[in-house]
Amino acid sequence: MANLLFYLMATLATVCAIGVVVARSPVVSVVSLLGSFASLAIIYLLAGYQFLAAVQILVYGGAVMVLFLFTIMLLNLGDPAVIHGESEPLFHHSRRTLLGLGVAAAVGAAGLIAILRVAWSAMPQPAELPEGGLDPLDQLAASMFTHYSLAFEAASVLLLATAVGVLVLAKRNRRPTAEVFPRESQQPATPSSPPTSTPSAGAQGQEVAEEGVLS
Amino acid sequence: MVIVKRKTLSLAERLYLPEVVRGLSITFRKLFQPKITRQYPEDPLPTTSVTRGQPRLVVKDDGNIACVSCGLCEAACPAYAITIDGHETDRSIEREPEEFQIDMLRCILCGFCEEACPKDAIFMSNELELADTTRSALVYDLERLKRPAAALAERMDYIKRINKRWQTSSST
Amino acid sequence: MNDLLILLIKASVIYGGLLGTAALMTLAERKFSAWMQYRIGPNRVGPFGLLQPLADGVKFIFKEEVVPDGANPWLFRMAPMMAAVPAMLTVAVVPFAGGDIVLFGQNFGQLSITDLDIGVLFMLAIGGLGVYGVILGGWSSNSKYSLLGGLRASAQMISYELSLILVVLSIVAMSGTLDLRGIVAEQTGTWLLLPAWNVFQQPLAFVLFVIATFAETNRHPFDFAECEPELVGGFHTEYSSMKFALFFLGEYCAMVVMACLTTVLFLGGPEVPYWADAPWFLQLVAFMVKAGIFLFLFIWVRWTLPRFRFDQLMHLGWKVFLPLALANLFLTGLLVSF
Repeated sequence: MANLLFYLMATLATVCAIGVVVARSPVVSVVSLLGSFASLAIIYLLAGYQFLAAVQILVYGGAVMVLFLFTIMLLNLGDPAVIHGESEPLFHHSRRTLLGLGVAAAVGAAGLIAILRVAWSAMPQPAELPEGGLDPLDQLAASMFTHYSLAFEAASVLLLATAVGVLVLAKRNRRPTAEVFPRESQQPATPSSPPTSTPSAGAQGQEVAEEGVLS
Repeated sequence: MVIVKRKTLSLAERLYLPEVVRGLSITFRKLFQPKITRQYPEDPLPTTSVTRGQPRLVVKDDGNIACVSCGLCEAACPAYAITIDGHETDRSIEREPEEFQIDMLRCILCGFCEEACPKDAIFMSNELELADTTRSALVYDLERLKRPAAALAERMDYIKRINKRWQTSSST
Repeated sequence: MNDLLILLIKASVIYGGLLGTAALMTLAERKFSAWMQYRIGPNRVGPFGLLQPLADGVKFIFKEEVVPDGANPWLFRMAPMMAAVPAMLTVAVVPFAGGDIVLFGQNFGQLSITDLDIGVLFMLAIGGLGVYGVILGGWSSNSKYSLLGGLRASAQMISYELSLILVVLSIVAMSGTLDLRGIVAEQTGTWLLLPAWNVFQQPLAFVLFVIATFAETNRHPFDFAECEPELVGGFHTEYSSMKFALFFLGEYCAMVVMACLTTVLFLGGPEVPYWADAPWFLQLVAFMVKAGIFLFLFIWVRWTLPRFRFDQLMHLGWKVFLPLALANLFLTGLLVSF
């Protein structure tokens, strides 16, 4: 029963993860990502990690994903093609696509071989669950904030860097269109810039918007 | 120019919660107030002689209809709701309607027919309810329009009184 | 009787109770609003209008379903489910009564579907997923009003979930456990002659939690996701028939669950005041009375207060609630550790 559920959830997580990459509409891929997170949480539950499962849903499912959706919706406001699902074809840079696929396949094959070698050499028996679940909270907290505190902080810095990177990318994509069509495109672009933009960028946007009104 | 002076709020008002509690207490007291809703079909509003409901035809105490099918109400009707077809009788009043139709879907309850009638034969009754499932069922014929004089007595008295006042005050 | 059967019986009783309460809440909402406005309210279907929710349900089922042109068909159909299911899932861990239930010579165990060690986290985590229904419904409708409603819902949820969790953290710090039964057990007995409930020990947390609950369930005065005067119907503008009904089922279930959570966290759950070993049915009655008070509060506030402005909502969430919740957590931490 638990094994069956595990394989079901693992398949669902994989399918959802593929859906994240393949989906044309960013919102659909966000929803797939949510499905992937949820199936992962269920796998944690099956392994007895109740706390991890709840935190997985609370943090990834609850908070980050809402922010994610929020941003994506703002970025897509001016693009009706995305809503209608008629965006450009997925793989249009054929040479790069092939290169990427090749690298991914190589990495995946290497990983698979490594796993299979271990699996063949010694088939591990599934461990019995100790009484009362696998996660005494104080142990988890203690190890996270003492032994692994460096990794913990590094992960948070990585997340911050990702957020900044997304902002930079979103800003850079917008600028060329603003130069080609200064009047039409700049104004809808200003309100749709992410809410946490840097002060200088916000001031810039405001100036352009005022010019647009004056001219 | 109108200068609106903003009231300076006290601390309690700026904290917002005491005011919320005050509002809540008001609505809570209103919960127990007597209700003003009328339960319509069981408890209709009382009608008076002034109520101008659907037009009805008077059947006199001797059993004959008061209408002589003169056609004045038909002519007065602004909505063309009335259709009359009359015929001769052997009685001293020589005419009566053979067919008298009011299309209640057209009738606008204006009361012109009542004013136009020289024979006090059509009156606005206190009947207000009008509902059916087909259009043809709402074209009322003679039988459905007949009412004994007693049923319309209040309205008849009222109209007579009003007419008398009108005649004495302005026409003379 | 084997365990699975007992579990099924308990689950069906509790879910029946939840859905029944949610249905009755729609009637109560209309009744109380009517009484506050000198009216009578629905009283035609069944005695005192008690069958009105049933009549509404039948009507919803027979309405035509409309999927707007240009809507994303999959997400559009998925959104109502995502709004209704999380709210219903969370009720699984609520402890409705302590002590074993013995009926007809059969021991049914304690009155809750399951007891998780992380009950509070489970409720917050799954309950927080309810906003996806609102956001996806708003986005997939391909309508500007719906989209605005969804956007507001997401912004609102982010702002208030933070304070909500911080407030819950101070309660968890006091009882030292995430288990709902543990939190209830910590509140038994008396404290300064009052019952040792958290509402007396943590009054600020209580006020913050109740208000954040209103924001979390999208109720007045924070119902910006719907906001009829500005956004037509908000996120559910384009929905009809049973899909529309599912959104409302989800909203009312979320209200019921939040009322249960408030009862457990702050009013000692099923505890009868000053009588710790009350029999289970009295505890159940006590729980229902306490939760009923909060359900009434939801309705009462809705028909009293006008809606906030959106900037006021954000101001309140980030500049008032968050500092207060943090300060409360800090003070609680000091109290607990010294």
